[in-house]
Amino acid sequence: MKYVPLIRLLVSRELTLRYKRSVIGIGWTLLNPMLTSFVLWVVFSYVFAGRLPNGQQYAPYLMAGIVLNSFFNQGLMLSANSIQSNSGVLTKIYVAPQVFPISVALAGLVNFFIGLIPLAAVVYISGQSLSLTFPLVIIVGFFLALLVAGIGLSLSLVFIRFDDTKNIVGILLLILTYVTPIFYPISALSQRMQKIINLNPLTSYLDCFRWAFSNNATATINDWLYMSSTGIFAIIVGTYIFKKYWPRTVAML
Amino acid sequence: MATIEITNVSFTYRVLKNRSGSLKALFKDFINRKVHIENYVALKDVSFTVDSGEVIAIIGKNGAGKSTLLKILARILPPTTGTAKLSGSIAPMIELGAGFHPEMSGAENVLLYSTLMGRDVSKTKSRIQAIGAWADVSDHMDFPLRTFSSGMVARLAFAAAADESSDVFLVDEVLSVGDADFRAKSSARIKELTQQGSAVVLVSHDMSAVRKLATKAIWLEKGAVKMSGTTDEVVTAYENQ
Repeated sequence: MKYVPLIRLLVSRELTLRYKRSVIGIGWTLLNPMLTSFVLWVVFSYVFAGRLPNGQQYAPYLMAGIVLNSFFNQGLMLSANSIQSNSGVLTKIYVAPQVFPISVALAGLVNFFIGLIPLAAVVYISGQSLSLTFPLVIIVGFFLALLVAGIGLSLSLVFIRFDDTKNIVGILLLILTYVTPIFYPISALSQRMQKIINLNPLTSYLDCFRWAFSNNATATINDWLYMSSTGIFAIIVGTYIFKKYWPRTVAML
Repeated sequence: MATIEITNVSFTYRVLKNRSGSLKALFKDFINRKVHIENYVALKDVSFTVDSGEVIAIIGKNGAGKSTLLKILARILPPTTGTAKLSGSIAPMIELGAGFHPEMSGAENVLLYSTLMGRDVSKTKSRIQAIGAWADVSDHMDFPLRTFSSGMVARLAFAAAADESSDVFLVDEVLSVGDADFRAKSSARIKELTQQGSAVVLVSHDMSAVRKLATKAIWLEKGAVKMSGTTDEVVTAYENQ
């Protein structure tokens, strides 16, 4: 609790520094998901657009996937790197090291919320309207932040010990991106593939997210349970592992 | 009770022999049974106490274990054996401006730096102008830190760290920054803080500064205490070795 003011400062530093030298600054947070989605939309809309169930529009479907996936991928990498990139502080001043991965995950959450603005715009542009359950996206963001912080905490220790795990994690994230229904509808796959993809927790996060803002998407109670339990599990295991192995790792910084 | 009580502290670094920092290399070495973990003893059985208002100097050659000892005092490293008891707040000045970011303004950096040291945000906010004035960089506080000269950065960091009184100050070679005027000013500030009751641990190669400030001294060699006593005794012995 005594670290709340520090975390607040670190989050705001994280948010302002990323685009400090750019002309439109924080505007990139709005523009980035739109541009990425546009490129993928041009490439894939021809293949997948007509195959979504219940008359869902492809553009918001795709963009929801991009916004959520970039929060997870970028957040995880930055969070896991944050201990090493702040080693200058951690070897000079005693401060609970957990504040760094957690601040990065929270900064990612703020960016995720900013990314909802262009998403809402795309929903209306594609001729749909936001669902009344829209505020529930906050819950999805919250659990995703827990997941990012939890995995980030445990990975940050591994990153300090072994430099090349960064590349391995990069590849794993790429695989994970493809086994998450970001730009394709899950119904386009074979039964067996669908089973594999439903095992991926991010699929549940994404289903809940799409259900929350869109009138046509569906999510089951199992999705909500899977999402909340993986988020809570990740943060508990992450803080435990971090606490246990940090005293041995700090001497390697 | 003394402010700092160090009892039989030892610290061992575990070093992976043939370590290249890559998982692949470790795996290869593991298969070939070439992994050795070697223990490197950085501190051996160090004990001392520091009371409130005292300045203890830690002297010794490079690699004698001075920095490791400071990190243990700062609670960054846990001692392998022995106990390190420190009461009250600790202001580590192990490296000035740790965590300073070149793209953030002087004021923003001071605020984050002080908060990292566990100080109150709103209190620091009200002190920022005074800190800038003390460091003689008032006009620059709203510019990014990359526009500061290195002397200005060091002065600002010292001013921020020494602005508020703490129970323990850990000072590593930072009194040798800046020009002669600033050195005199920062030494005077350390003296003032000890008069207010702070305990100071001073690591320095500058024997004249040690003689001026310290009330007692410890000479470390290869991780062990070679000599401890009054500043004059220890420094004289060190200089005549």
